[in-house]
Amino acid sequence: MIHVSLTHYLVVSAFLFSFGLYGVVTRKNAVMVLMGIELILNSANINFVAFSKFGNYGLNGQIMALFVIILAAAEAAIALAIVLNIYKTFAHVDVDKINNLKE
Amino acid sequence: MNIANFSQMLSFIKPELAVSVTILVVVVFDLIFNKNKKIIPYIALLGIVVTGYYVIQQYALSGTAFPTSGKYGMVTVDAFASFFKMIVLIATLCIVIFSYYSDEIIKTQGRLGEYYTLIFGMVLGMFVMISASDLILIYLSMELMSLSSYVLAGFTKLRTRNSEAALKYLIYGAISSGLMLFGISLVYGMTGTTNLYQLNAALQGADVNLYTVGFALILIFAGIGYKISAAPFHFWTPDVYEGAPISITAYLSVASKAAGFALLMRFLKTTFVTYVDPHGSWQLFNIFDWQTLLILISVLTMTLGNFAALWQDNLKRMLAYSSIAHAGYMLLGVLVLTNKGVSAVMFYFFVYLIMNLGAFFVVMIIANKIGSENIDDYDGLGYSSPFLGVTFGIFLVSLTGLPPTAGFIGKLNLFVALLDKQMVVVAVIAVINSVVSLYYYIRVLKHMFLTKRDEKISIPVPMPAFLFILVMATTTIFFGIYFTPITSWAQNAAAILHF
Amino acid sequence: MLTEFGKIFVFILLAGLFVAVGIFTAKILRPHRPTKEKLETYECGEDPIGTPWVKFNVRFYVVALIFLIFDVEVVMLFPWAVTYQKFGAYGYLVGIIFLIVLFVGMLYEWGKGDLEWDRPQPIIPYLHKEEEQNK
Repeated sequence: MIHVSLTHYLVVSAFLFSFGLYGVVTRKNAVMVLMGIELILNSANINFVAFSKFGNYGLNGQIMALFVIILAAAEAAIALAIVLNIYKTFAHVDVDKINNLKE
Repeated sequence: MNIANFSQMLSFIKPELAVSVTILVVVVFDLIFNKNKKIIPYIALLGIVVTGYYVIQQYALSGTAFPTSGKYGMVTVDAFASFFKMIVLIATLCIVIFSYYSDEIIKTQGRLGEYYTLIFGMVLGMFVMISASDLILIYLSMELMSLSSYVLAGFTKLRTRNSEAALKYLIYGAISSGLMLFGISLVYGMTGTTNLYQLNAALQGADVNLYTVGFALILIFAGIGYKISAAPFHFWTPDVYEGAPISITAYLSVASKAAGFALLMRFLKTTFVTYVDPHGSWQLFNIFDWQTLLILISVLTMTLGNFAALWQDNLKRMLAYSSIAHAGYMLLGVLVLTNKGVSAVMFYFFVYLIMNLGAFFVVMIIANKIGSENIDDYDGLGYSSPFLGVTFGIFLVSLTGLPPTAGFIGKLNLFVALLDKQMVVVAVIAVINSVVSLYYYIRVLKHMFLTKRDEKISIPVPMPAFLFILVMATTTIFFGIYFTPITSWAQNAAAILHF
Repeated sequence: MLTEFGKIFVFILLAGLFVAVGIFTAKILRPHRPTKEKLETYECGEDPIGTPWVKFNVRFYVVALIFLIFDVEVVMLFPWAVTYQKFGAYGYLVGIIFLIVLFVGMLYEWGKGDLEWDRPQPIIPYLHKEEEQNK
C-alpha cells in the first residue's frame, strides 16, 4: 500500500489550480469561466484541509475551508445573477464578444 | 472566554457593529415602508454619523481583539485604522449626496433600499479590511466588499454597458481573489498560522523555501493589487469605471482604493518588519524583496495610467486611467518603507478624496443635463456655466499636482519621502509622469474654455449641489495653503501597530 | 514485486489498451459513408433550432439561488453546534445573532415576494354554446 502523504494532496491541488486557471483563460462561455474560478477556490480548499491535517496546525485551516465554501456559494449566486442579466441584454454569454466598452 | 471579556472586545469593533446595524435597519425599513423610499438616504446619513462618532471615539484606542490562538487577535485597532475608516466614511457621505442628485440612481428609485444596503455592505467590508490582522479575515472582508461592489457596478441596468461592467468586474475580481486565496493557503502551509503577528514571529529565522514564499506572496499581492488597481492587475478599471453608475465609479476610485492601500501597508508592516529604526525606517526580513517589486509595479502603474489617459475621449474613462496613475503615485509612499512614506500616502488620500470626488461630481452634474461624458460635448461649457468650469478647473489642476492646490502638497510629501531614501531615479520618473498628466487634464479645460460652441446650454445646479461643489473646491485650495492640521494628523496616525 | 496499487495500475493499463484496440479495429473495419442526414443531431428528423439556452421561467433561477445561499449558510451552524457549550452564554449569543441576521435575510426575500410562485393563470376553453344554439 502506498501511504497517502501531504505531497499527494498538494499535487492534486496544484493540478486543480492549473486546470482552473487554464479554464479561466481559454473558455469563452462566462459560465465555464466561473467554473474555472470554482476550481481555483477548491484547490486552495484542498491545501487548507491537507495542511491542517498533516501539519498539526489546529483547526484554523478547516474553518477557513468552510468559509471558502460559503463564499464560493455566495459568489456563484451573484455571478449567475449577473450572467443572467448579461444574457438578457446581449442574448449570449460569450465573454470575448462582450467588449462594447473598449475604445 | 466569558461575557465580560466578550463585551470588552466588542468595544473594539463598535464602528463595524454600527455599520452592521445600519444595514439591518435599512433592510427592515425598506420592507416595512415599502412605498416611502425618500427616507432611506436620511437613514443612511444617520448611520454614517453614528459610525463616525464611534470611529472618532476609537482614535486613542490601540490593541488587538478576538484571538483565535495565542495572544494576538484578528482585529487590530489603532490610529492608522481610524484615519482610513474616517476617509472611507467621508467618501460614503459624499456618495450619499452624489446618489441624491444622480439621474441614474433617481431612475432606479424603486430599488433604493437595496442600493444603500449594498453600499453599507461595502463599507463594512472596507472597515474590516482596514483593521484586519488575520489572513482569513482579510480574505473574507475583501470578498464581502467585492461581492457588494459587483452588484453595484451593474445596479442601474439602464444601458448595456452597466451589465458589461458588472461582468468584467466580477470575472477579474473573482480570479484575483482566487489567486490570493491560493497564496494564503501556501503561506498557511509553510508557517502554520494565519495571524499576521504570529506570521511575523514564524518567519523570524524560519527555514522556508524562498521560491515558494515568493510565489505565495506574489499571489497574495495579486489580490491586493487588484483592489488598488496596480499595473498588471488594472485591466478591469477603465471598463468598470466607464460602465458603472457614476456615483459607484467615484466610490470605487476613492474608498475601495483607500481600503486596499490600508490593507497593503498593514500587511507589509505587521508581517515582514523586524524592527523600526529611530528614523522611522522599516527593516524587513530578507525572504522577499518587496521594495524592488513595489518599485517596478509603481513605475509601471503610473506610466501606463498616464500614457493611456492621453487618448481617452470619455471623461469617466480618462478619470479611470488617471486614478490608475494616482495609485502609482501612492505606491511611491509605500515602497520607501518608512513611517514618513505612510504618512505621505495618508495625506495624499485625504487630498485625493476631495479632489477626485469633486471632479466626479461636476462630471455627474453635467452628464445629468447633456447625457454624455464625451469630451467633445464639453465644448464651450466654461462660458455657459462658469461656476462648473472654474471649479472643475481647480479639481483638475489639483489632480495634476500644481500649486497652490492641495494636490501639490500631497505630491510634494511623496517626493520628499522618496528623496529621504535617496531614490532619485524613481522620483524623476514620477515627476516626468506628472508633466505628462498635465496634458490630458488641461485638454479638458481647453475644450471647456477655448473651443466655441454655437448653441448655448445652461446646466442647472441645485442649491445644495452648488454648496457641495463650492465646499470641495475651497477645501482643495485651502489645504493647498494651510495643510498643517492634516499633515500632523497623518503623522500621528502613521505608526501602524507593531509588536 | 507489484504493490496493491501496482496491480490496479496494470488493470488500468489493460483496460485502456482493450478500449483502444477495440476502437481502432472498428475504425479499420467499418464502412465510412457519411450523409447529411446521418450527421444531424437528431437523426429522426427533428431539426434543432436556436440556442440550448432555452428560456426557463426566471423563478427557477431565483429559487435555486435562494436555496443555494441558505443551504450553505447552515454549514456555519455545524462547527458552532459542536463547540458552543464550551463558551456558555457567549457562544449562545453569537449563534443567536447569526440566526437573527439570517432571519432578516429571509424576511427580505419573503417581503419582496421571491418566495411566491406565481402560477400561470390557465385559460379555460370556453364554448359559446348559446350563440351556436341560436344559429
